[in-house]
Amino acid sequence: MKLTTLALNNIKRNFKRYVMYFFSLSFSVFTAYSFFALMQNEYVLMAFTYDDRYKSLLINFGIIIMVFVMFFLLSSNNSFIKARKKEISTYSLFGMTNGKIGKLLFLETMIVGITSLIIGIGVGIFFSKLMAMILLDISLASFTGNIEFTISMRAAYITAIIFLTIFCLMGLSGLRVINKFELIDLFKAHRVSEGRSKGSKIVLILSILLIGIGYYLATNSNSMIVTMSAIPILLMVISGTYLFFWGGLPKILNIIKSNKRNYYKGVTLISTSAFSHRMKSIGTVMATIAVLSAVATTAIATGYTLYSNIEKNTYDVVGYDMYFFGGHEEVLSDIRTTFKAYGSEIVNELTIQSYMSSPRVNMTIDENSIFNLGKEVYFRVYSQSMYNKLASICKCNYRPAGYIKLGEAMYIHGYRFHEIDDKVKGQQLSFTDKTLTITSVSRFKAISFGVKHTIIINDDDFDSLIDRGDIRDANEKGDTYDKVTLFNYKNSLTSRKLNKELTQILSENTKGFRTAYTNYDESLQSFGLICFIGFFMSAVFIMMTASLLYFKQVMAAEDERHQYKILRKIGMDEQVEKRVIRKRLIPVFLIPLLVGIVHSMFAMKAADTLVFSNIIPVDNSYFRVLLCSAVMYLTYAIVYSVFYFVTKDQYSRIVK
Amino acid sequence: MEILKVQNVSKVYGSKKSTKLYMALRSISFEVNEGEFIGVMGASGSGKTTLLNILGSIDKPTTGRFFMNDRDITTFSKKQLARHRMDNIGFIFQDYNLLETMTLKENIILPLALVGHKANIIEEKLRKIVNDLGITEVLEKYPYEVSGGEQQRAAACRALIANPKIILADEPTGNLDSKSGKDLLELLTYINRDYRATILMVTHDVFAASYCQKIMFIRDGEIYNELYAGENKREFFDSIIDVMSVLKGERK
Repeated sequence: MKLTTLALNNIKRNFKRYVMYFFSLSFSVFTAYSFFALMQNEYVLMAFTYDDRYKSLLINFGIIIMVFVMFFLLSSNNSFIKARKKEISTYSLFGMTNGKIGKLLFLETMIVGITSLIIGIGVGIFFSKLMAMILLDISLASFTGNIEFTISMRAAYITAIIFLTIFCLMGLSGLRVINKFELIDLFKAHRVSEGRSKGSKIVLILSILLIGIGYYLATNSNSMIVTMSAIPILLMVISGTYLFFWGGLPKILNIIKSNKRNYYKGVTLISTSAFSHRMKSIGTVMATIAVLSAVATTAIATGYTLYSNIEKNTYDVVGYDMYFFGGHEEVLSDIRTTFKAYGSEIVNELTIQSYMSSPRVNMTIDENSIFNLGKEVYFRVYSQSMYNKLASICKCNYRPAGYIKLGEAMYIHGYRFHEIDDKVKGQQLSFTDKTLTITSVSRFKAISFGVKHTIIINDDDFDSLIDRGDIRDANEKGDTYDKVTLFNYKNSLTSRKLNKELTQILSENTKGFRTAYTNYDESLQSFGLICFIGFFMSAVFIMMTASLLYFKQVMAAEDERHQYKILRKIGMDEQVEKRVIRKRLIPVFLIPLLVGIVHSMFAMKAADTLVFSNIIPVDNSYFRVLLCSAVMYLTYAIVYSVFYFVTKDQYSRIVK
Repeated sequence: MEILKVQNVSKVYGSKKSTKLYMALRSISFEVNEGEFIGVMGASGSGKTTLLNILGSIDKPTTGRFFMNDRDITTFSKKQLARHRMDNIGFIFQDYNLLETMTLKENIILPLALVGHKANIIEEKLRKIVNDLGITEVLEKYPYEVSGGEQQRAAACRALIANPKIILADEPTGNLDSKSGKDLLELLTYINRDYRATILMVTHDVFAASYCQKIMFIRDGEIYNELYAGENKREFFDSIIDVMSVLKGERK
């Protein structure tokens, strides 16, 4: 029999085992091809002309993915070979040299590899248009262009070369594994423990301590401290995670074992002992998966949170679809005709006069603070009714409502420091013959229109202060302050052309303007790409880690098969067996997933301190971040549970 | 008192469509009384392991029925069978069949844990039996850390701990050196006498068989002969050899 025939027969016979292997291999090829094709796609290249850093971002991301894919393929290949120990030793027993066995396995790897390479690239080509469209759709505000279906030969070429190299490496590392086999192991293989570990209390405490300190630092609300300690946090949490799986979890299992009342229940006894028996060999894998899950869930949650808040964030900054200073009549009529020409309707329109005032403030000046209410401070002043009008048509999320009594004032600012609240609250604003007290402070960036300090006061106070000349609509030279005109209109975020036209008119005829579209488009380009990469990376990580667990468990099933045989003879019925299998497998999937998600929750807290609290101007932005992240955690959990069920199915079939 | 009654049990291997049918057991009938120590002998392929598997309700007979305490086991559902194995039968296997993921102690209490006994009851039963069989010292060790004899004794403990009605032993001395083999046989005799356990042992080792009170010889799926132990062990041993040589001689 020729070696090739033997290799083909082996694959045919082991087809069930190979299905998952085929699947994950094809998926990694698909990922790689799609990625390279995207980088070659001229539409994508055109769309990101603005910025070179996107390209470098994509390249870096590509390298990370490839390294990970290689790690995954090598380790799953090795455990695959180990699972076939018996078969390989039999060849050896009949006098096949290691070199020849290596050649046989190499042939098998190549047959499987090239098949999945073809499938992967084929699927990649099939979906390449879709991938490009998704990327452009999520990272451009108004993507309407049509992408043609293209086959990127270059991408296919690069993918093939990279994977053929990886397959060769797999063949070599397979040979190394074979050389390590001792024939005698065949006959006592499952007699020896794979490495039971008793665990140690110290390691358990140390790991919890390390992770705990990392978490504690991550939850610090001072962004400076969080930035400074980012690397220590990473080191502590990662080493803590590994220690936990190496020494902590075995200790916990031992503690479970010492609780006799619980442990002496048949199902717990069997599954716990089987699990702890494998602890050493699977500990490292579980820890790696927990860390990778944390990275992946954080990436995906960050991307999703950023992305789902772009629109809200746009309005939190800009507030209205468009506003400009200096309301000339011609500009208004030009704008109106433009709206008509592009078929957009005006939803709200409001023009208000700006009023300024500079009351005396007795506030101690803190030199170091960015925020200062000095002596010569100008406030923009709104009367209660003006403010209500402005707030009612503002499109941002958080519009502080306030009923302001006589003699009181509400202070509005655009900073995100909560310390301001305490500093400013209770301050006295002294006008010529009147003193107002600041009773409430709110952050509301959208209505300040470029001014640092804004106050809102009671209508009657407002009128009397205007009469006294304390609030003025003109400066000392007599020039009136500019009027502000706001517009909300339909299709504000979808029509690129309308925005272009409006921008042209406004830049020629006004003193200053802003449109929501411009802001939105900029954010989308940068966040959209990050988000896309996050999704892509997470998808790869999820698939690879989950199938790695699958492989490990299927291999274990081969070893554990005879145990189930014994147990059945003792009198374990089918229901108990099902429960044993469930209890045996659930922790393998659940523990890394939970650890990963908890890590990610704290990472999101740090990200919230650094980034999101800036972007999301809600009092408790972490809550919103968690809500967005939860969507992704759930997705992750769903994928894992699908893999769990596939694994359980296969495991039950093997041990039957 | 009769504990087990086998009536016309046959076992046919091979599918019904194919012409190549293999009769492993041909209409076997016999009875086992409480407290008996019975040996089943025969050449390999004679059907003795098939018989043991059927009695242990791991396998099902093709035709015929057998009763334990007047209950027809062949009519049991899968779930009832599992329960029946747990309550009534203790197994001792040739290769011990201890789970290597568990300590000896955990292995021994497994049958009780599966039934769901309380922890303190389990501990109590365990203490008594391991004391009797002398493996208290090595309880916390794993199977591969102790000697073959200790593993075999642990397997015997596991078979005994649930107070089964009958203990089925499949070539229990097969893997042991002569010293350990003799120890085990003495252990089985001790169990039979002091625990009043009914034992059915499959073996092809004449020395092992000479410890039994009664021996059934099986040939080509049928009971060929029966022998009862007399006063003299030496005589019994010789007559077993005689029957065995006749058995082998006729095969030629």
